[in-house]
Amino acid sequence: MSAEPVAASPAPRLSLADFATMAITFFSLGVTLQVVLIDNGTSAIRAFVASSVIFSATSQFAYLAVKEAGGGEWAAIIAGIIVATRFGILAVSLTPRLPTGTLRRVAASLNAFDPNVAIAVQQPTPEGVEREFWRTTAGMYVGWFIGIAVGTFLGDVLGDTQRLGLDAVFPAALLAIIGNLLRTRDGRTAGIAGGLLCVVLLPFVPAGLPIILSLGGVAIAILLSNESTSSEEAS
Amino acid sequence: MTVLAIIALTIGVWGQRLAGGFLVGPLLERRPALARAASLIPAAVVMAVIVQLTVANGKTLVLDERLAGVAVAGLLVWRRAPFIVVVLGAAATTALLRAV
Repeated sequence: MSAEPVAASPAPRLSLADFATMAITFFSLGVTLQVVLIDNGTSAIRAFVASSVIFSATSQFAYLAVKEAGGGEWAAIIAGIIVATRFGILAVSLTPRLPTGTLRRVAASLNAFDPNVAIAVQQPTPEGVEREFWRTTAGMYVGWFIGIAVGTFLGDVLGDTQRLGLDAVFPAALLAIIGNLLRTRDGRTAGIAGGLLCVVLLPFVPAGLPIILSLGGVAIAILLSNESTSSEEAS
Repeated sequence: MTVLAIIALTIGVWGQRLAGGFLVGPLLERRPALARAASLIPAAVVMAVIVQLTVANGKTLVLDERLAGVAVAGLLVWRRAPFIVVVLGAAATTALLRAV
């Protein structure tokens, strides 16, 4: 999910329009996830509970992807946890920028998502960071819970989701979520390398393993980037 | 989703944020190379999930209408389109190609 419209200005203040953008983004993500979950055979109530407590479309999508490919339960869970490392990294950049006070920091870092951290850390003062963080987070929560409620209902009535192209929605949503990462050179290299590793391994290794082994893409990106830096220094 | 998956993913997702903010953060501050590697993990792993969802059917590689939908999504993400536009663009492309 892109934080672009607000991330473009130097020290953005969250307007009503930004709150709405955040809510609409998480609304569509929530609807999509519920429809896909129910289409994959999860009961409506369980799907709603899962999305309420896990609150991570990426993790849930990754889990489903492995299960769909015939992978084991733990392989799917590990894939779901690895893709959520993103949140840990976002918390790394958010936490030191917050006002002191352990409880306030714990509460905020537990809610680190891509767009709210992207906006909050652009504020100059710790108080500003915290204020903008909670405003954007509020928009996300409102959108998400309305979205998963609507999606739970829709998932029951939609019928053949393949005909509606919903199987393409699932990877498209993930692409939008990591869009900003792919704009950086190293991020792009890691992404391409991870994707290629997955394609090559997929037919030959047990389901779930290609996603875990795609971590090798990180090593490739670092090796390639070190190489280009040293050749620049040499020239 | 199984109950086990719901519990494990909930702990895994929320726990990583706490670990990031309070354990890993201070550790990474002293190791910039490790911090850089950590920041690249999502790009590689999420892309692998995308690839699997786009060109695989179980363990077989297949090229079908999904690929066209995801290609359109890629174009829209690159053009910085809003999330909802990306998602609808992918679904519409795939659905249209299947209808013809």
